[in-house]
Parts: sequence; C-alpha cells; structure tokens
Amino acid sequence: MSERVKIDVNEAIRYMGYRDKPSDVEMTLIKDCCELLESEITPRYVYRVFDIEPTADGVRLVGSSLVFKGKDIVDHLEGCEKCVLLCVTASARADEIIRLKETQDMAQGYMTDCLASAAVESICNDLEAELAKKLSGWYFTWRFSPGYGDFPLDIQPDIIEMLNAGKRAGVSCTESLLLVPRKSVTAVIGLSSKPIENQRRGCAICSMSDKCEFRKKGTHCGF
Amino acid sequence: MDFKKLLNEKEFVFLDGAMGTMLQAAGLEAGENPELLNLTNPELIEDINFKYIEAGSDIFYCNTFGANRAKLENTGYGVSEVINAAVDIAHKAIARSSKRVYCALDVGPIGQLLEPNGTLSFDEAYDIFKEMIIAGKNADIIVIETMTDLLEAKAALLAAKENSDLPVIVTMTFEENLRTFTGCCIESMAMTLGGLGADAVGINCSLGPKELKPAVEKLCGCTNLPVVIKPNAGLPDPITNEYNVDPDEFAQLLREMIPLGIKVVGGCCGTSPEYIKEVIKAFEGEDCKAVEKKLPPMVCSANTAVTIDQPRIIGERINPTGKKRFKQALNEHDLDYICAQAAEQISAGAEILDVNVGLPGIDEKEMMVSAIKALQGVCSTPLQIDSSIPEVLDAALRVYNGKPIVNSVNGEEKSLNAILPLVKKYGAAVVGLCLDEKGIPKTVEGRVEIAEKICKRADEYGIPRSDICIDCLTLTCSAEQEAAMQTIEALRICKQKLGVRTVLGVSNISFGLPAREIVNRTFLTMALTNGLDLPIMNPNIESMTSAVRAYRLLANIDKNATEFIESYGTEPSSTPKPAQATGEVTLEYAMEHGLKGEAASITSNLLESRDAMEIVNEILIPQLDRTGVLFEQGKIFLPQLILTAGVAQSCFEVIKQHLAKNGQAGESRGTIVLCTVKGDIHDIGKNIVKVLLENYGYTVIDLGKDVDPMRVVEAAKQYDVKLVGLSALMTTTLKGMEETIKLLRQHHECKIMVGGAVLTPEYAEKIGADYYSKDAKQSCDIAREVFGR
Repeated sequence: MSERVKIDVNEAIRYMGYRDKPSDVEMTLIKDCCELLESEITPRYVYRVFDIEPTADGVRLVGSSLVFKGKDIVDHLEGCEKCVLLCVTASARADEIIRLKETQDMAQGYMTDCLASAAVESICNDLEAELAKKLSGWYFTWRFSPGYGDFPLDIQPDIIEMLNAGKRAGVSCTESLLLVPRKSVTAVIGLSSKPIENQRRGCAICSMSDKCEFRKKGTHCGF
Repeated sequence: MDFKKLLNEKEFVFLDGAMGTMLQAAGLEAGENPELLNLTNPELIEDINFKYIEAGSDIFYCNTFGANRAKLENTGYGVSEVINAAVDIAHKAIARSSKRVYCALDVGPIGQLLEPNGTLSFDEAYDIFKEMIIAGKNADIIVIETMTDLLEAKAALLAAKENSDLPVIVTMTFEENLRTFTGCCIESMAMTLGGLGADAVGINCSLGPKELKPAVEKLCGCTNLPVVIKPNAGLPDPITNEYNVDPDEFAQLLREMIPLGIKVVGGCCGTSPEYIKEVIKAFEGEDCKAVEKKLPPMVCSANTAVTIDQPRIIGERINPTGKKRFKQALNEHDLDYICAQAAEQISAGAEILDVNVGLPGIDEKEMMVSAIKALQGVCSTPLQIDSSIPEVLDAALRVYNGKPIVNSVNGEEKSLNAILPLVKKYGAAVVGLCLDEKGIPKTVEGRVEIAEKICKRADEYGIPRSDICIDCLTLTCSAEQEAAMQTIEALRICKQKLGVRTVLGVSNISFGLPAREIVNRTFLTMALTNGLDLPIMNPNIESMTSAVRAYRLLANIDKNATEFIESYGTEPSSTPKPAQATGEVTLEYAMEHGLKGEAASITSNLLESRDAMEIVNEILIPQLDRTGVLFEQGKIFLPQLILTAGVAQSCFEVIKQHLAKNGQAGESRGTIVLCTVKGDIHDIGKNIVKVLLENYGYTVIDLGKDVDPMRVVEAAKQYDVKLVGLSALMTTTLKGMEETIKLLRQHHECKIMVGGAVLTPEYAEKIGADYYSKDAKQSCDIAREVFGR
C-alpha cells in the first residue's frame, strides 16, 4: 500500500452537501485543501485475519476472547470461515490540519473535514485491494463497522485492543467510544471459500436511517 | 539502584525481550488482560522473568505495561495490587538467581489519547501515571516505553520524577519516516525528555532492527544520554501473526548498530530469551562507541525542532499590550483569535512564537494554559512563554509539549530564585534580562555584569549556557539616543564572552518617531550583524522579515540562497495588497462569491465614509439574511453558507478593529455560551454555529469540545447568559448533553438550544432542551427569538 492517499474529491463534495457543482472559487479552495491533506497525511492501517466460529449469541474469533454479537453482524458473516478485522486512519495529522484550517477559515475547515472523511474511505479501498491480492482465492463480504445495524459500538475498544491498534496505527478509543484520530474506522470483512451472495448494502440496515442528512434531501451516503 | 554505576561498569547494558509474546506462546488469548496474570498465574510470570535473567538480561521489565487505572477499570482489580504483585514476582525471580539483576517498573501508554487529539487531559494522565509510580516503588528502576505522544511521555516522566527517586529510562516508538504516530520527531524527543531529567532515552517497538537503524542513528546524533534500543523481531505477518527476524539475524543487526553509539539493548514484540542470548553473544568483546557530542542550542515543539545556530524570528503579536482587539479577545476567552494570530505570524515567517496573555482582571494562569493547549493543537512552532509570574510559568511549562523558552528571568535575587529552578526542572531555555533591583544599567559594562550574574546562577542550577538567551534591552531612541549603540555593544560582548544566545525586542527602538519601520529595520540589521540570534518582532511586517532573510543570505547561512529564492524568487506580491478602490466589486458581491480579502479591504474603505453600524445593519446583515434564505430553500449548500459567513467575519474583524481603535466597543446583541458536550470531540458543527452567531452580532463564549457539565454551568453564571448552545454528534455522547441540561436547570435560569447529527426534535424535547436547532442557520433564528433582536 502506498504511503500516500488519493482522495476521491467528488465523493468529498457529496459529503459537503452539494447537490450541484461547486463554483470556481469554491473548487479552488477544495482542491487546495485536498492537496494539503494528500501531501501531509500518512495513512496507517492494521489488520488481522481470524478463523471464526458460531456461538449461541454471535460469532467468535478463534484464538481470542472476542465474540461479535448482534443479528446483523451474524448475517454479515454467514457462510464465512474467516474474517479480516481492520482499522485504518488518516492519522493525527489530519485532525491537526482540520483544526488549523478551522481557525483560519471555517469554510475550508469544513471542506477539509469532509475531504478527510473521503480519505478514510480511499484508504479502506486501498487496503481492501491489497487484501484481495494477499488473500486470493477467498471471496470477500463488504466492510461492516461497529454502529451499523445492531452491531454495537461498544465493541470498539476490544477491536482496538485486539489489533493492538494503538501501538501499530496510533488509534485509540475514548470512553465515549469515539475513535481518535477522528478520521479512523474499524471494520469486519468476512472471507469465504465459496462465492458470496451479493448482500444488499443500504439504508435498511443503517442505525442512522431515520435521522440521516442525506436521506432528508432524498439522496443517500453511498453506503 | 545505581544506574550510572551499572552504565560505567558495563560496556553494554542488556534488557529483556517481549513479555506479551511469551504470554501468547503460553496460551494467552488476544484481548485478554496480561497484567491480571500477576494475580491469577504468578508462576507463569515468574517463570518468564526468570528465563530472561537466565538469558543474561541486566534489567528486566515487570509485567506492568498496561497496569493503569484506565485499562484495569472493568477488571475488578486495582492498580496497586496488580503492580505490587508484579514487583513481588520479579524479586522472587531475582532471588532464585545468583546474578546481579534489576527489575524495572514498566510503564506503557494509557491507551487513550491526550488532548488535543483525544479527550484525556494532561493532569489526568499525570495522575494515572503517578498512581503506577507509587505502586511500583519497590522496583529498581522505572521504564516508560512505547510512547507515541511526547506529551504523554512527559506526563509519565514528570510523575516519575516528582514521586520517586528511581532512575528513569524513556523509550518512544518511531516509524520509518522518523516520526511517531502523533508526528513527534527524534530531536524533540531527545531534547524534551533529556531536559526533564530522563537517565536514558531510546526507541522501542514498531519495527525491526533493520528498519529502525536510521532512527537510532539520528537519536545517537542528538543526545548525550545513553541510547536505548529495543526493536521488534521484524514485522508481524497479519495472517499468521509471526515475526520475520530470527534470533541470530536480530543479534547481528543490533551489533551493526554498535558504531552508532548505542549503549542499552533488548528486544520488543516477537523476541524471546533466545534473542537476548544471541544478542549478548554477538556483543561479546565489542566496545561501546558512544561519544560526548557538542549539541547545538535548540528549542522545540513535539513536531518541530528549531536550532538556534542562526537568527530565528520570534513573533511578538500574541500580546495584549497596546492592542484593544487582543484585550477583548482575552476577556471573551476567544482562543480562536489567538490561534489565528499565530497562524498569520507563522505564514509570514515566524519560527518561534512569544505568548503573553497577561491582562488585569484575567486569571493569567488559566488563560496561559488554555492558550498553550489551543496553540499546540493547531501549530507546531515552538513557543516562548512570556510571563513574570512563577505560578503562571510553572503551569505553562507542565503542559507545554516540547522545550520552550521562558521569558524571562532578570538579575534580581527574587527573580533568579523563583525562575531558574523552574527552567532547570522542565529543561527549558530562558531569556535573561539585563536589569535588576536598580533598574536597567546605563552602561555597557553594567548590563554585561548582570548578564554574567544570570549566567553564573544558571550554572549553579546546571542550566547549560546554550539555553540562556540574554536580552540587553532595547530602549526608546527618541528618549535616549545614545542607548541604541550601548544595547548593540552589550549584546556583542555578551555573545562573545559568555557563550550565550542573544535575544532582543526590536520594535521599541522607534517609539515616538516617524517612519518607525525604517528605524526598526535598520536597528534589527545592526543587531544581527553584532550577533543577535533571536529578534522578537512583528513578522507580519514584510520589511522586517525580509531583513532577517537577507541577513541570512549575506552572512552565508542561507546556503545557495535557497530560502531567499523560495521566499522572493517567484512572485513579488507577498506584501499585502494596498487597499484597492472598490471598482465594480461591491461588498455584497464579495460576500456572495467568497472573496475574503476583497471584502475586508472594501469594508475598510467604506469605513472612511460611512458609519460602522450602518455598514453592519445595511449591508452585512441583509446579505447574511439573503444567504440564509437561499440555504433554507436548498439553493445553496453548507460550504457556501459558511464561506459567506467567513467573508462576513473578515469584514466584522475590520470593523471591530476600527471601533477598538476609536475606543468604542461593538454593540453585542447578547452573550451565548457554546460547547460540544462531555465525551464528544467532534466540534466542527459547533464551530460553524459560532461563526454564524458572531456574524449576527452575538458574543459567543466558546468552551470548546469535551466540556464538563459543571464548566458549562460556571460559564453560564459567570457571563450571566440567557442562551446556552450544546452540540453532540454521537449517540454515545447524548448522555453528556442530557447531564449538562440537568445541571444547568439546577443552577442557572436560561434557554438551551441543542443540535448535532444524531439529535431529533423529539429527543431534544425529551432531554429537556428548549430548542432543537437543525442547522447553523436555525441557531441564529433561535438566538433572535431569545434575545428579541
């Protein structure tokens, strides 16, 4: 995986809430912020592959004390023999740049914040592409994160601990279960030796669907 | 234990290898708490300790790495029982052997990030470490390891130094780019921890010995302390979780680092007693190559080290003296304003920033600590802490992340006795003013004499000369014309004779004269030629900054004119544009199109012919209203709304300064306390709301993010506000919001508005808020309703 991330600007522009094209002045600002982020942040990731086995109330990661609970994660991993547990981050530098931009110019702060969110998506995609190479022969589910559906957010500290993400990627979890650096995610990808039915992603399983800003405007987040 | 003696007696000191790897090999499952084994399976731990003793470790680590309050919280065990058990086990293992070995209290990271990245405060971190240090008093030495945040390492080291007499080793974890995850660089680590009194510094974990070599080389070049290295056994395979360097290769790779000057060696993740045995074998007959080096004078933040081997610009603008707008910012606790001042100076060329927030009626200690925390969250320029009050300096030095300059001590006994111990304790540099009980000496000799006195006293405390910056004091030329040359002459002598750095505030020289800039610039150039290292000046004045750059070019410091060409080679207009005639661009147009600079200059032109409040009420507010309506109609989007608000903000800034200059204060429509609630660190929404509310003329007291409910209550009472705004972005932090509302209701009569991604009007009502604000625009409407205007 490369030391740098390429941000999908159009994706970021969608996060910003635009429903048509930004003006030239705005586009210049967005591009400047994007270049700054791309040149400054150092994407980091850590992952581990576990065998999985069903338990009475969830899915257990073999060789660990961790059990994933909730109907949605169980559905997600159905038919899988293994899973990849991963954590990626756009690094503490991303938070720092957002803070700096906010004090200088709020609009650019907001743009940078959205760009950094898009950066995390890109890092995840890059990592997934790398995993596809390393784990050829395996079929992947999509990425499922704590907080989706009924997969509880309070698993977050255990995932961080399990991956040793503090030591290996500089990511930790606050008492209120937020990841820091802020632009970080954890996720679970199921691995199966047989083709996986294309599971539906979308608003139906999202815990935010009733208060989602995108849905209010008649669009969706792309999930 | 006598660590120095051990270092003297032994060519190399050997540490142990991994504990975690050994525990996993013995069946510990990933995710299990390894420290609890001290109580549940002490034999296993003793066995591992003993194996390292047998392998030949001189110092081995007790099983206490994560035995802190935060990590043990839900285990049912306390810090002291877990640590006591670990240290007892270690002593048992030692007793089983005839070798002279020592056990170290192992102190790892807390596992939560400190402010500004996370929510843990410096004081909380200190307390957590203090508890560990006290519990581990029976260990022989303290090891603080695997740190990635310099400030966390500092909290741990201070806790060790203030609560124990044991020697302390500190090692941090670097990546191949020679920085830690939080961006800390090796020079900053060596300098900061060395200054705070670490007995050895080093690098552990993250990478194998091969990948760590450049980091080790760099560290050996920038410290005279013993260098510790404890690499991983290569890199782990994410699928098998196995490390890829075997004991023999590991030992050979470590041996290759002997010429760099390493002194203390061991292994981290993936290593075992086998690795240590091989290392000891490979080191047999080798000599330690560490040599005493002359280190350049330097100050630093965690991420940036600034060598004072050439003139460096200290920005003077963070200082309320003579600045009404700055005073207003302090009174309103407006940290954003201070940060913006910092950003402006840095982009103009400041390399160090002076921070002075002293103002009558202000809690200077609290303000200084807040300002330093805010500044180090947004900029990595080293700071100069400017106060004469020891308590303020002490508090600031604690939370400062790096090695700062203390401004200042002077020749008075009282000052020397109060300030120098602080400078020594925190490993700072210090400005020494050439004045004493009798004032500023008239003569050159008199000033040099005071400088000598300060140096002598600093020597007694063990403060190196390279950390002393003598200020020979600039006097106003219009009052004492002969004084200018005396200052310059004193500076020249001090620099030559005392081996110190020199510092000088240059702007005072021209007070009361016309064409001040010319006088200042010429004086600056004269001082530079005579050995001035640290001009304290306004870097935003281009002719001053360019004089320093030109000096560095002419003095053959800026090799190949690289910096000079970079600054001036491409385009001529780094100077601020002269206020342009408005032409066709109207203020409305500039606001609509996000033209910040233009809008500010149009505003300042308009102020020549129109009343300030007229501009606000007839142009700015109506345009903001129009934008708000377009936003509500979905015709423009959030970035555009914020852009317009940002442009308006720059216009208001011009107006505020104009009013302040004429001794008027802008009329406030009302004061609002705003914050992101306890537990939440996502504050961008709150910050957007703040900008919009300020646009509409409300005074916003911004308490920041992760704010304790009681602080909100205190601020609401202190400013007697009618409206409080609370923001929360996560479902997990809504609790914090509810709690804050409850507490506010008990203590202060006011309206409360809430907002944030996960909130709904129903939930807002349920937790007792008066208003639900769906976006920044609506929060302005709410404010209008509450204040009636």
